[in-house]
Amino acid sequence: MSEQYTPLDDIPRVLASARTAFLSDRAKPVAFRKQQIAQVGYLLKDNEERFKEALKLDLGRHAVETELFDFGPTYKDVRVAYDNVDKWTKVQPVDFNLNYIAMRPTIKAEPKGVILIVSAFNVPLFLTLGPLVSAIASGCAAVIKPSEAVPHVNLLLAELIPKYLDPELYHVIQGGVAETSKILELRWDHSEFSRGERVGRIIAQAAAKHLTPITLELGGCKNPVVVDPKVDIEMTARRLLWGRFSNAGQVCTCPEYVLVPRTFQSTLLSALKDAYGKFYPEGPENSDSFSRIVTREHAARLQGLLKRTNGEIVCGGDVNVEKKYVAPTIVNNVTAEDALMGEEMFGPVLLIVPVEDVDEAIAFIRARETPLAVYVFSQDKKFQEKVFSSTRSGAALANETVLSPAVPGFPVGGVGASGYGYYAGKQAFEQFTHYRVSLDNPSWVDTLVFGFRFPPYRDTYKRYVKMMHAPLPPRPTKGAKTTGPGVAWTWWISFVVSRLVSASSLMLVRSSDALRRLKP
Amino acid sequence: MRCSQVQDLAFRLAPFLGAKCREANINPRTQALVSSISPTFPLHSQLLRLPKSTMSSQYTVLEDIPKIHATALRAFNADKAKSISFRKNQIAQVGYILKDNEDRWKEALRLDLGRHPLEAELYDFVTVLKDVRLAYDKVGKWARVQRTEFNMKYFAMGPKTKAEPKGVALIISPFNVPIFLSLGPLVSAIAAGCAAVIKPSEATPHVSKLLAELIPKYLDSELYHVIQGGAEQTSKALELRWDHIMYIGGTHVGRIVAQAAAKHLTPVTLELGGKNPVVVDPNVDLPLTARRLLWGRFGNAGQVCTCPEYVLVPRTFQDKFVDALKDAYHEFYPDGPEHSDSFGRIVSKHHTKRIEGLLEHTRGEIICGGEVDVDKKYVAPTIVNNVPADDSLMSEEIFGPVLLVIPVEDVDEAITFIRSRENPLAVYVFSQDKKFQEKVFSKTKSGAALANDSVFSPAVPGFPIGGVGASGYGYYAGKQAFEQFTYYRVMLDNPKWVDTFIFGFRFPPYKMTYKKYMNMMYPTLPPRPKSSISNRPEKC
Repeated sequence: MSEQYTPLDDIPRVLASARTAFLSDRAKPVAFRKQQIAQVGYLLKDNEERFKEALKLDLGRHAVETELFDFGPTYKDVRVAYDNVDKWTKVQPVDFNLNYIAMRPTIKAEPKGVILIVSAFNVPLFLTLGPLVSAIASGCAAVIKPSEAVPHVNLLLAELIPKYLDPELYHVIQGGVAETSKILELRWDHSEFSRGERVGRIIAQAAAKHLTPITLELGGCKNPVVVDPKVDIEMTARRLLWGRFSNAGQVCTCPEYVLVPRTFQSTLLSALKDAYGKFYPEGPENSDSFSRIVTREHAARLQGLLKRTNGEIVCGGDVNVEKKYVAPTIVNNVTAEDALMGEEMFGPVLLIVPVEDVDEAIAFIRARETPLAVYVFSQDKKFQEKVFSSTRSGAALANETVLSPAVPGFPVGGVGASGYGYYAGKQAFEQFTHYRVSLDNPSWVDTLVFGFRFPPYRDTYKRYVKMMHAPLPPRPTKGAKTTGPGVAWTWWISFVVSRLVSASSLMLVRSSDALRRLKP
Repeated sequence: MRCSQVQDLAFRLAPFLGAKCREANINPRTQALVSSISPTFPLHSQLLRLPKSTMSSQYTVLEDIPKIHATALRAFNADKAKSISFRKNQIAQVGYILKDNEDRWKEALRLDLGRHPLEAELYDFVTVLKDVRLAYDKVGKWARVQRTEFNMKYFAMGPKTKAEPKGVALIISPFNVPIFLSLGPLVSAIAAGCAAVIKPSEATPHVSKLLAELIPKYLDSELYHVIQGGAEQTSKALELRWDHIMYIGGTHVGRIVAQAAAKHLTPVTLELGGKNPVVVDPNVDLPLTARRLLWGRFGNAGQVCTCPEYVLVPRTFQDKFVDALKDAYHEFYPDGPEHSDSFGRIVSKHHTKRIEGLLEHTRGEIICGGEVDVDKKYVAPTIVNNVPADDSLMSEEIFGPVLLVIPVEDVDEAITFIRSRENPLAVYVFSQDKKFQEKVFSKTKSGAALANDSVFSPAVPGFPIGGVGASGYGYYAGKQAFEQFTYYRVMLDNPKWVDTFIFGFRFPPYKMTYKKYMNMMYPTLPPRPKSSISNRPEKC
């Protein structure tokens, strides 16, 4: 489908057009932003069937998954941004502070400029339209470069975005590696990427050249699951397999490997097999409830990994590269050094890694790069807390997998090797926003107190500068003098009073002088 | 080479990333130097050496730098920095580092920058103490687990968001406000629960030495460290993988830092400079404007990143305005600036010479000052009138006590002038007229937008300080700085009955009845926009 690609020469023009439109301040009024945000919702709503069809063609997805992974989260972003954009953009006064109240200091959320959104193929609508909604909410212009691996979705986005949204502010660039490299040569005001770790590094370096701030959503590492024997095993199995096999395992928050105590391993395994049987009663290959891998290369890559594993394949394992089919697979007794434990799989393969106990599980997770999500299945709050507090990850979900991006108000983002910055929620709005500080200093401030700052400096400054010192918190060590937060107040009050007294006494003296002079 | 207090650092780091620097539009002199050293990578042995500081004996040994990082990481992983009471304790201690040693700090600043103690108080003490107090009072609130807004459909899962520390932060700070720009970010890092390593500027050796002496004394010596040194130490530190890097300094080194960080996928905060414009409305309190402008420009000898650099003034008002500047100038320095104790010095001879060069080439008209004594690191407070847009003084951030006056026709020309340049850290407007202020502010982009004053936004409690575009990204100070060192982790616990009741439709084999349930999970869309606002599709 490469004839639909954007010509390379057009790419700088697309940016120029977006920048001109941005500089015209068209995207700034909140009413306009809300209107465009709602339009993003209707772009999807009016064309649900066409999008479902495109995703069927590109990823072999069933409509349920399209609704759950793409429509639901996008509608949620639309609603959250629409409802909150007024609040988010409101000019905010800083917390009351007597020293600065006269200057009325405020903080204002201002748009950064033209945003570049490079999205991944796996959840192509949410990862494209979600950031777009955040960009619109912050008042930015945006250029979207969806993944070339999902050409039907691309085509639809390129058709519908200019139709529903302002065609000068918001653009779609279609293309592959050449187009992406061209894009990366340009200077954007913020770039947001959902891609693999290797590409992430290239992108980050390209952005660094232009000093462009970026958001990286990498996935990059494998999301672990810790299972406590004290758990509803049937629920655990269902939710695990659902998380792992939906969209054929191509979701960055997918659970990849399950750390299970050896004593509980066989129980878990048989529960997983039961759930597997229930999910695909006639086998997964003929089930319409199971998707395909996005490309043959990826299917072949997964085939290679499966061939090299020393684990024991207990369900699935079949691959048909031609049909881009990788069967939902469960591999038991996987060790830390296994081929399947190397890179993020991004396919429907769930690994069972036996451990002694929860401490070994925690050590196992900590020895690796920080994942996007850590999942715990346990009825025991303390067990959950133990795992969550000793590990790091973008999301920490108990008794559930995958669905954090669907929750309204959740920021979605990684830490360490899984990236930085956020999708969705207020945090995503803030990615595209610059907080500009403002104040207006009246002249009497100098007359009353702040005049001491001007040269030539006099020793009397000490009296005044003290007023500007925020009082220190009490000294942590014992027996020391403590200074409470009230000091600045008392200082001010005594200062004003003393000024008043001295002024009025001066007046008294003068007037009595005058009176005396009047006397014959 | 454009601006920057850390120019020599850029200079020495250049060969380290030679090829990239050449692309980055560095001036021909540096370029020639860079290529003459054959930019192969890595290049520590060939690092270009400028005359070494006399204090280089205090530099951190290169081999120790990875060890320092490892110590900090180990301490962080031991969860030492996590509890709020520990964080508050350490934040307060930062305040006492300053309070207990006020006179030593003042002396160090006098030695390094020739600063009067008043400036030390205003630029460094007030700002740090404000950060300490704010973080101390707010850290409990900032770090609290937050429930997401109530939502019927997800209520059962108890979704919440938790602020977690990123890990070990590297803070690279400049020479110009050396205490605030080291301890301020440190306070934010402590508040976030991170470990931190500070690399202060080698251009202020006395301050750096004090930092290195006092930080381990007052703070946890495993979590918080100081690396002293120059370009070699910095490039060694940049080879390591940090969890966040906060860099405050010039654009060129900023680019090198960002690229080094990109290799490790490390998030970065960059606080760079830029030339900050001032727009003056004739409708203004003239003596006040002149005083506040000169104060902002000549404080710390003009070496503050939020300094006003050039003033756009309507031609019809220019003479009056210049006269007011002259009056204020003489008021400030009645016996001439050279003998005034109220005027600082340039940080190094190298920078003094650079500013001298800029002044020599200007086509503007020097109406006050202009004298330079390189040996004494003295550049007189200078006002240059009628500066053309393409003047030498307009080519880079001056970072010295030189104020430029640029005549324009009206406010629209002034706005066009600002917009045609890179985004500055601050835009200043002097006007009594709110509409005038608003017009300039809304038409320009900058980190700060101050009316009727200059420079001191970093002193206001609660203000996030950061640039936009060429002046950097991310923030220091305020809650936003805490967030730089934080990542928000989302959490929930989904009870079983949710599947039984409604969410069971998600499991394969998928049935067509799903639609019934799915609609329940969707939020309702906002009302369809009326076509009047803009382009609604013809018919869908």
